[in-house]
This record gives sequence, C-alpha cells and structure tokens, in this order.
Amino acid sequence: MSHEATLHGHDSHGHDDHGHHEHHDTFLTKYVFSQDHKMIAKQFLITGMVWAVLGGLMSVLFRLQLGYPDASFPWLESILGKWAKGGQITPEAYYALVTTHGTVLVFFVLTAGLSGTFANFLIPLQVGARDMASPFMNMLSYWFFLAASVVMLSSMFVETGPFSGGWTAYPPLSALGDASPGSKTGMDLWIIAMALFVVSSLLGGLNYIATILNMRTKGMSMTRLPLTIWALFFTAVLGVLSFPVLLSGFILLIFDRNFGTSFYLSDIFVNGVGALSNEGGSAILYQHLFWFLGHPEVYIILLPAMGMVSEIMSINSRKPIFGYMAMLGSLFAIAVLAFLVWAHHMFVTGLNPFLGSIFVLLTLLIAVPSAIKVFNWLTTLWRGNIRFTPAMLFAIGFVSLFISGGLTGIWLGNAALDIHLHDTYFVIAHFHIVMGVASMFGMFAGVYHWFPKMYGRYLNNSLGYIHFWVTMAGAYLIFWPMHYEGLAGMPRRYFDFSIWESFKQFAELNRFISTVSMIVFAVQILFLINFFYSIFKGRKVTTQNPWEANTLEWTTPINPGHGNWPGEIPEVHRWAYDYGKDGKDFIPQDVPVGADESSSH
Amino acid sequence: MSNHDSHSAEHHHDAIAEIKKVTIILSVLTIVELILGFWMIGITSEGMRLAIKGVIVILMMAKAFYIVAYFMHLKHEIKNFIMTVIVPLALFIWFIIAFLSDGNSFRNLRNTYDPHFKEQSTIKVEEKHHGATHEATEKHEAGAAEKHEATEKHEAAH
Amino acid sequence: MSNVTTASSEAKWWGGGKSPFNVEYGKVMMWYFLMSDAFTFGAFLISYGTVRFSTNGWPDPNKVFKSFPFAPEGVNAPLVFVSIMTFILIVSSVTMVLAVHAGKMMDKKGVVRNMIWTIIGGIAFLSCQAWEWNHLHHEGAWWGVNPFINADGTASSTNFTNFFFTITGFHGFHVFSGVVINIVMLIMTLMNKFEERGHYLMIEKAGLYWHFVDLVWVFVFTCFYLL
Repeated sequence: MSHEATLHGHDSHGHDDHGHHEHHDTFLTKYVFSQDHKMIAKQFLITGMVWAVLGGLMSVLFRLQLGYPDASFPWLESILGKWAKGGQITPEAYYALVTTHGTVLVFFVLTAGLSGTFANFLIPLQVGARDMASPFMNMLSYWFFLAASVVMLSSMFVETGPFSGGWTAYPPLSALGDASPGSKTGMDLWIIAMALFVVSSLLGGLNYIATILNMRTKGMSMTRLPLTIWALFFTAVLGVLSFPVLLSGFILLIFDRNFGTSFYLSDIFVNGVGALSNEGGSAILYQHLFWFLGHPEVYIILLPAMGMVSEIMSINSRKPIFGYMAMLGSLFAIAVLAFLVWAHHMFVTGLNPFLGSIFVLLTLLIAVPSAIKVFNWLTTLWRGNIRFTPAMLFAIGFVSLFISGGLTGIWLGNAALDIHLHDTYFVIAHFHIVMGVASMFGMFAGVYHWFPKMYGRYLNNSLGYIHFWVTMAGAYLIFWPMHYEGLAGMPRRYFDFSIWESFKQFAELNRFISTVSMIVFAVQILFLINFFYSIFKGRKVTTQNPWEANTLEWTTPINPGHGNWPGEIPEVHRWAYDYGKDGKDFIPQDVPVGADESSSH
Repeated sequence: MSNHDSHSAEHHHDAIAEIKKVTIILSVLTIVELILGFWMIGITSEGMRLAIKGVIVILMMAKAFYIVAYFMHLKHEIKNFIMTVIVPLALFIWFIIAFLSDGNSFRNLRNTYDPHFKEQSTIKVEEKHHGATHEATEKHEAGAAEKHEATEKHEAAH
Repeated sequence: MSNVTTASSEAKWWGGGKSPFNVEYGKVMMWYFLMSDAFTFGAFLISYGTVRFSTNGWPDPNKVFKSFPFAPEGVNAPLVFVSIMTFILIVSSVTMVLAVHAGKMMDKKGVVRNMIWTIIGGIAFLSCQAWEWNHLHHEGAWWGVNPFINADGTASSTNFTNFFFTITGFHGFHVFSGVVINIVMLIMTLMNKFEERGHYLMIEKAGLYWHFVDLVWVFVFTCFYLL
C-alpha cells in the first residue's frame, strides 16, 4: 500500500519534473552529467566507438607484423617510438597490442558499447517508462565506465608498457611483476580499470533488471515485451551474477601481486630472480574463476545482438517473429547454460578429464537453443515482404555469421578435438566470427535501425550498403582462411611465423588477411563519417514511425525529451509482433484490440 | 491505509512472535553446531568426522534459510519474486561441485606425478611458537634459497 | 485509469502500471545486489574450498583459534571466542528486524532504539574481529606467513592464513560498511526524514544488507572454524 504510493509518486514526479524543462538544461547537465537514459546511451555509444577505433587500429598494427614480418615501416617508429625500433614492432609491443585489443573489444566495445548503449536506450522506451529505475545510478554507471576507460588508456603510456599477458590475464604472467615488462605498472592499471568496469556493469545491470521488472507500463506483461528487452534482461542477469566472480578472482590476484600470498602461485622459478617462496597455490583456480565470468561474458556480448536482430528482422520482414515463446525459452536456456560450461576453455590445462567430459556434454547442449533461434530467424524471413534496409542487411549478416561461427563451436566443444585445436588460429576464427563480428553486426544493425530515434535523422543509405557489403565480405575473407591455418596447427599469439618451416607456407595467406583487415578497417571509418555527418546533416525524420514498427519507442515524439512521452505513457494492449494481421500491415502495441479482431495470429 | 491500521495491532503481535520464534531457532541451531564442533575435537575416525561435517553443513543451510526467509522477509514476498531470487542461486550447485572436484583432481594429479609435492606432505615439522613472524619469513626465504640451489644443481646436471 | 479493455482482462497476475512484485524498485535492486554479492563471497569461499581440496594437509582450526581475550597465555578454549562473535551478530540481526518492524509500524522511537542496539552489535563484532586479527598477527600469522602446521604435523602452505585474512577481512569490510549505513539511517531517522516521507523503506533496505552480512558470517564461520 505504501509501496504503491511510492511507485506512483515516482511516476508523477518523472512527468511533472521532466516534461517541459528542456530549456533549463545547461550544456553540462544535458550532455555531460546527464541523467536522461537516452543521453547516457549516446555517451556509451560514442565512448564505445572511440574504443572500437583504437582496438581496431591495434589489430591493424599487429596484422601488419603478421602479414609483413620482414618489412620495416619507418612511420611506425615515429608513432610508437621505442615500441617499434627500426620500423618493426617489438615482440613486447606485439603482445601488448594483442592483449589490449582483446580486452578493449570484449569489455569496452562489445559489453559497454553494445549493451550499455542499447539497454540504456531501449529499455525505458520499449517497456514504457519515463527513465531508468534509478537515473542517478545509471549516470554513475557511465562515469565508472569512463573512469575505467581513462585508466586503461593511461596504461598505454607508462614506461613499461600496457599489460601483455593476454586478455585473460592468466597468472603467473599477471601475478608476478617480474614476469614481463607488461606485468609491472601496466598490469596494475589493467586490473584497476577492470575493477572499475565491473562496478560500472553492476550498477548498469541492477538498473536494467529493476527497470524491466518494475517499471513497465500498464498492460506490458512479461510475455508482451519485445525480444530486445528479453535479451537485454538476460544479459543484465548474466552480468550481475558473473562479474562478481571475476571481481573475487581479481582481488585474489591483487593479493598475489602485492601482499606475498600464493593463491595462484606455486613452485615458480623466475629467470634472474630465482625460485619464489610461493607454495600451494593453483593457477588453474584463476582460470576457473576467470572463465566462470568469461563464458557468460560471451553471451553478455551476443544476447543483445540476438535480441535486436530478432526485432529488426520481424519489422523488416513485415511478419511476426516466428516462435516468440521458443525464442524466450532458448534465450533462457542459453542464459542458464552459459553458467554451466565455463571449463570448456580449459580442456588442456590439466582439468580432470572426467569433469571435462561433463563440460563437453553441457557445451554441446548449447547447440539446441542456438539452432532453435537460427531456425526461427530463417522462418521469420520465409516468404516475408522483406525491406532490405542497411539494418536488415546487418541483421541477416548476423545470422549468417552466427551459423558459420557457431558450427565450429561444436568442433571446439569436443575435448578430443580441442586438444589439437586449442590455442590455434581455428579458435581465433571461431570466436571472432561468432562473437566478435556477429555482435558487431548486431550493433551496426541496432545503430542503423535506431539512429532516427536517437538523433531525429537518417543515416545515409548508400554509405550503409557499401559499409555492409565490404564488411560482410571482409569478415569472411579475414577469418575463413584462419580455420585452415588453425587446422594446420598454427598457434595464436605468436609474433613471427616466418621462422617456422611448418608455417612458412602461410606467408602469402597471412599477407592477404592483413590486407583485407586494413580495407575493412577503412570501411569502418566510412561508417564513422556517415554517423557523425548524419547527426548534424542527415536527412530529417518527418514521421513518428519511420520503419512502421509496433514497439512503444515509435509512439514518442521524433525528438523525445527527458521523460520520453509528453503526455501520459501509452497503455499496451498486445504483443509487439502484430505484423500483417487481419489484412493490416502493422498494429502498434498501444492500439486496443478491436471487437472483430481475430484472437491469434 | 485505514484498512492497514485496523489490522496492524494483530499483525504486530504475529510479527513479534515470529521474530522471537526465529531467534530461538537460530540460537538452538548455532548451539547444536558448536556442540558438534566440540565433540569433533576428540574424534579421530575420518569417516565419523566427515559425517559430523555433513551435519554441520546441513545445519548451516537451515540457518541460512531462516535468516533469508524470515529476517529478510523473503517468505512473505510474492512467489514470482521469490523465484527470481532462488533460481539463480541454484547455479551454486554446479559451481561448487565443479570447482571442488577439480581441486581434488589437482591434488591427485600432483600426488601421482609430482614426487616433490608428495614428499613435502609427509615430512613432519615442529610447531612454531609466539612471535614467530620473523622466523617464519626467514624460514621461508631459506626454503626459497634451498629450492633455488636445487634448481641450479638440476640445471648444472644437464 | 478507466481504460480497462479486453486485453487487460487476459493478463494473468499482473496488469502493469505498478510494481508486479508489489516491491519498491530500490528493494528489488538491493535484493539483486545482494545476489551478486553472494556470488562474490561464494567465489571466495569456493576458491578456499578448491585450494583446500587440492592440498594434502590443512591446519586444525581448533588448534589455531583457541585463545580468548584477557585469558592467560596458552589457554586452550577452541570455538569459545568465535561463538561469542556469532551470537553478537545474530542478536544484532534480531534488533535489526525489530527496527524494520518498528519502521513498518511508523514507530520512530522503536526504530531509533533498535538501530542503536544494531550499531552497538556491529561495533562489538568488529572489535572482536580486530582483537582476533591482532592476536593472530602476534602469533606470526599474516598474508603470506603461516606459523601453524597441518593437523597431521606436516608443514602447511601459507594459503590457510591467506584465505582466512582475505575472506574474514572482506566480511569485516562488509560489516564496517553496514555499520556506516546503519549510522546514516539512524541520523536520518532522528532528523525525521522518514516521518516526512511517510515510510521507512530505507530502513528495510539497510536491514536487508545487514541480514546479508549476518548470512555470510554463517557461512564463513562454518567454513573456517567448524569444518
């Protein structure tokens, strides 16, 4: 009773307070310390883009080394200094680039940039809320992310370089300062940045969950939520339950680094230092703790993309999503399985083989919900009246990549095959296609689709098509050949393959991959130009609902203010996928059910 | 609101009675745990100790249940809300089984393939006395030096 | 809102427009925060278990935690001191429930009285922990140093003390922040903040946190002192 009073209190507060005070905002409160979820989403998106460019540039640099191991590029020395003595990247710099590329892309771009952007932007708009449950915590979430970004960025400018032991930060390289140059200050900063990042994602995740559960508008029952919201909900749940475990692992790591403990260390001899006194620890323990987060993290990256793709695909096929409840069930199954399969990353670490076989079984089970999703997407396309917008193309591209990358996951999930394929380019090909590029495609689809809602203007379509086709072809040209290299045993994280007889044959192929990666990177710059040009000069949106979609965000004004709806929040009367029903092209969620309307689709 | 007030006196008594009841249950459970703990000191049989430890773990879970259900009031929330809290906690089952069994397997592997590890866990040592911080550190360093020497010898032999 | 339609009649247990759980959003958030914190502590305790399982010997807690403040040197009183700590925390949890209950009754005096007792309980627990840490430190135990030997008389790795100090330290940090939160709540109560708002929901949320701290102690106590 008193609860209800507070809830409604919050509601009317949001309305009265935020409805019409746009002109009171200063630059600082509107763009910097904003508590409006839409602005916070844009902050996440643009910070994520900055990181994507940096992370992509890093990959171009180390691809340069892999493609042209003997060549020397004097301009490299002028930008990297001592890290590229004589125009060639040093091994230390190479490892630092690989590590930072992984960390940045996985956490800062595809976690914060993807779910940070779209969870913030879409959750209140699509569930029908004025803002997040706690706008203040939402703002803090972005600021913790920015602090993490600043610390991570600063680690690149320290004397001993950024951390260079791989994005997974396995001990002893991460636990011993003497292990390598990057394990010194670089690692301290890396761990601080990651701890800040965990705080950011917890603040955000709690907010997303509370908003989805508690702040839905009248009539918006859980089974009427668009699939985007469901996907973002499970993403938030995964984050809230798995990031704390990473935090625990990092706390133990900090103690190992600084306070003489040996949680992860045992019987270690460091060249030039001697035998260490650490005894009784277990490096495998760290890997368990890391991958207990690490595997759900893969789905934290992938699920938002899946949700957005479902939504975009249904809208642009002008058909209801096929198997809504099956989509929900498979999302739930993936979220649960995400927590049960972590040790499939550790088959060759000395994991108990019997335990490993259980992990194989659980891992292969993921194929079931994944296949359900794929078939549902394909059936949604089937005989649809498809509109090939850039967003739709990226959504279809996502499905293509998800299939080709997912199938190799079945190979890698088998412990027996994994012994051969572990730590080879096969793994790189697998996770880049299924997690990296596929999620990037989901993100692009989301940006192209919701750009009109974000900025009230359209992105340029022609540039969008060029962006899509080059990226799509490039993604396959880069990563497909890597499967063959991996099957031939070519290991990841090696600095120079030209000195091995067995891998010399791949010199041409490596050069080809490097060249394509540079072209693809250049096309992403084209997208950025399109993005920033269109914010200011793009074609203006003139109708409230440009894609003729059903969800609630298109019932707001073209440029919604803080509080989203100028009047009352619309009430929801139906699910989000009434396309092509009763001869009508689409029926938005806030349209009441007509008397003569057929009961189901 | 008026509806709320008229029932409040009755509700008040119920709630206080419940708090009293749960306090007594928690105290009794803790006392039983402690009695088992004291009893275990004198027992040397491994199987018996393991059985007592099992009972203690069950009592621990019971205590946790009473705290969460009554003190944290979860039992009086809506069922769906209870489920959103209980279901994710089920992840702990596999979390615990997998971690502990892999820890156990790591010990077996080391006992089988690492003679040094096995040997270290059979040598009896004297218990140290108060104020042993410095001694302990020195001992540790000495141990490290010894290991260092051993490694050097090992390398020299090659 | 009068726009009841056929659609809302088919909604099963919730029609929207208010919290489906009849719980304020802050309480929902607190619950899920505690869930995530449970995974932090869970990861610590499970790591402790994993390392213990991967080691051949482990010190006997009854030989390590056997002293008592003001008792003569060499006293053998296992479990006594820690049982007092446990009871302090349980009693402070009970007073916290009473404070939450008083809050629901809008009984400001009851809230103040019980919050003061809870804070005293928290400080008493922290003092006990400080004494125990200090005592163990004097015996030569610290992060990276372990003066105790295994129950079977063999040399022990430092992970016994490493985990003990890390986990009880992390729990103590939670108790400390709980005490700080409770003090803030007490001050807000005395300033009539909650009377003005018409509800004591903040006390309930602080209560959830405090009970969680007690709950974690149930596990820490069992894992380190009994098993």
